[in-house]
Amino acid sequence: MVQRLTVRATTAAGSEVAGFVQALSEQGGLTERQSYRLRLAVDEIVTNIVLHGYRGQPGPVQLEGGTDGDQVWLRIVDEAPAFDPTTHDPRPRLAAQADGREGGFGLFLAMSGVDDFSYDRTDGHNRNTLVMRRS
Amino acid sequence: MKFQAKIQADDDARTVTIRLAGELDSGSAPTLNELIGQAAQHPVDRLVLLMDRLDYLSSAGLRCLVFAHQKFGPGVEIVLVGTKREVAETIQLTGLDRSVTMQDPADV
Repeated sequence: MVQRLTVRATTAAGSEVAGFVQALSEQGGLTERQSYRLRLAVDEIVTNIVLHGYRGQPGPVQLEGGTDGDQVWLRIVDEAPAFDPTTHDPRPRLAAQADGREGGFGLFLAMSGVDDFSYDRTDGHNRNTLVMRRS
Repeated sequence: MKFQAKIQADDDARTVTIRLAGELDSGSAPTLNELIGQAAQHPVDRLVLLMDRLDYLSSAGLRCLVFAHQKFGPGVEIVLVGTKREVAETIQLTGLDRSVTMQDPADV
């Protein structure tokens, strides 16, 4: 069964997002560690959409997810201008931490914390799909 | 759990301690940054963050650590005590553990 949640794009959406991921993780039988990583990844993508996609303006962010065979998937859909996180290279900004500049941690954490991350642009929507494999 | 943070200057006045609890994300990070700004008013050698009750840390929380480095300067050691496994993994994944000291509670 596919679960769905639509939140308003604000930084206060974190607890709703966390609850959605927790329920999906339990439904899919993910470990606590996997659930934490999935929540962190979703949180980072949604925060990026709020701050950079919609630039602080109101806009919908839809979450949908489910279990498919040996994996749990979660898709984040928004209507902000096209942005493909997989083309974002965080290394120069991560390397800049040493001199005290803030690093580009969020997307790096999102993409490195899940088993698969993919992006597509469909009908004017950004669609980020995250996958965790059930152990 | 809602984010909570409490500041305490130690008796020797060379250490300032902030106890963290709950979830540190983009919604709560401004609260911690404000406390860090207050703490940086004190001329100290160490900033200690008690992490054992912190259940969640996102990139906004990581940026608080970078902010602390900026506010306190390179001569002040930042010590994270009792960090939970998942939170510690997030810090290590980005390499920020190299610019702080991570301690078990027994080492303090």
